[in-house]
Amino acid sequence: MPHDWEASKLRLLGTFIGSPNIDRVPFFPLACEEMICRISGKTFRELISSPKTYGNAAIQTYEFLKADTIAIPTAYAGPAEALAFAETNNKEDVIKWFDYKVFMAEQGAICKTEEDIEKLEIPDHSKISLWDTCYSAIDFLREKIKFQPSCALGIWSVVQQLRGPQVYRDMRKNPELLLQLCEKVYQSQRDLFNFYNERIGPSGNIFFTGYAFNKHMMSFEDAMKFEGQFIKRLQNETRVPIVLHNCGTPPYFDEICNNLEISAINGSHPLDIEYWVKFKENHPNTTIIGANIDVSRELLNGTPLEVEEKVKENIRHLAQGGRYAVGPICCLPWGVSLNNILTIPKAIKKWGTYPLQTQLLY
Amino acid sequence: MKDNEILEKLKISIVKGKSEEALDFMHQAINANIDPKQILNEAIIRGAEDVGLKYEEGEFFLADLLLAADAMIDCMDIIKPKLIEGKHKSLGKILIGTPEGDIHDIGKTLVIALLKGQGFDVIDLGVDVPPETFVEVAMNENPDIIGISGLLTMTISKMIETVTMLKRKGIKAKIVVGGGILSEKSCKHIGADAWAKDGWEGVKLIKDLMEVN
Repeated sequence: MPHDWEASKLRLLGTFIGSPNIDRVPFFPLACEEMICRISGKTFRELISSPKTYGNAAIQTYEFLKADTIAIPTAYAGPAEALAFAETNNKEDVIKWFDYKVFMAEQGAICKTEEDIEKLEIPDHSKISLWDTCYSAIDFLREKIKFQPSCALGIWSVVQQLRGPQVYRDMRKNPELLLQLCEKVYQSQRDLFNFYNERIGPSGNIFFTGYAFNKHMMSFEDAMKFEGQFIKRLQNETRVPIVLHNCGTPPYFDEICNNLEISAINGSHPLDIEYWVKFKENHPNTTIIGANIDVSRELLNGTPLEVEEKVKENIRHLAQGGRYAVGPICCLPWGVSLNNILTIPKAIKKWGTYPLQTQLLY
Repeated sequence: MKDNEILEKLKISIVKGKSEEALDFMHQAINANIDPKQILNEAIIRGAEDVGLKYEEGEFFLADLLLAADAMIDCMDIIKPKLIEGKHKSLGKILIGTPEGDIHDIGKTLVIALLKGQGFDVIDLGVDVPPETFVEVAMNENPDIIGISGLLTMTISKMIETVTMLKRKGIKAKIVVGGGILSEKSCKHIGADAWAKDGWEGVKLIKDLMEVN
């Protein structure tokens, strides 16, 4: 049976607005470049050789995974933003390319010195060929399957790439310099957002990688200072709902949602399901994507039965009343058993069809 | 100032991550002829322990750990020649790197700084290190422990390859893998001897494995 993207779209939209009329819990995996290379049999350079090639490979991958979402994974505030800064500031040599996964920038090489930060030029994304290809690929998806992946932005993920571990010294020794870098990255995100709107049209939400919101890394106050305040500004300036992604351990999800207006969160930690139950009670209007399904646990090392149990546990505790999507994070890496991944949509169909058969779930 | 007061002030400066202040007390300690081994154990290592405790209790964060580690390294640079003169042995030799395909090094930077700051010899292989390099350097350097640190989920397959190759070549060093992506199960899957979820845990684990307390 062909993949019904229209049904997936309605399912996701219904989940986000808390509609009682959705047929089942959606499946929201993050298949990164590595998984797209694996499923499509193409190298990463082939993927980015044309928007159509990348778009078709993404469709092939996400349809194979029986997903209710789709992405052009390179188009986020990760390595592609580092590349945009590298190209704009004549530092392309810090980019390392791989055959079957996304390239990466040498951490901290673009903003090694204070002068590098002061002189750092903000990219014009319409002139960066990779971004042009990625956004054209998103436009291709919008045309071909009538499904438009969101605009994906972030601050700290980019700041860390540009400045490396030095950011943590700056945080205490020179916070003003660090804020200067955050501001430049913010301006770059605004440029990206504008470019997305011009090339594809308005984004239904912003998928925001909020990597500062990690309890191991910094206090919540610092996370707000170096990332949260920029999310607030972005919300005020764009009025687009935010889906906040953080695959760190453990994130400040509860605290963020007490301070910012977040329409959905996407994470896989903490692993204690009770945390998520409480979160849903405290933030009933925030959609949870993920909860405690983590790729490096059941999916990588478990059996299909264990994966099914994990999906069942999440649906049982979180899917009642909607606003829940099953999604393992972080990115699905090369080595994960496809059988385990494909168990997720099967388990969703079995346990996550509305109205939930609560007696079977227990 | 009495010896124990100097050591206490040195320790506090380290905990606060104030390198310059720590160096002042370090010089005072040396001028007062305090045994370098005593400086290491009672000021530097205790400082590291206090910092770790504050991190575990949520009072300190990565930035504080890193600054304290920087202060420890600055102090160690002064004291190390004197420890060698006094035939004080290194606490152990650690080989550490981020596996091929991953370039993230915040956790690794922290582990290296904290280990060096407490008297370990550390060989940093850098990032994006192929399995063959881990093997080659391990054969030449004969480390006590090999640390493989990564951030990305996709790094796990390279960790497996690296550990398999190290074991196949008969490397006897214990292998510790580190990163928030890991778990007890993935550690077994990789074939490593132990795992740590973050830099501070990694340091504690290495000290436990080396029986340094």
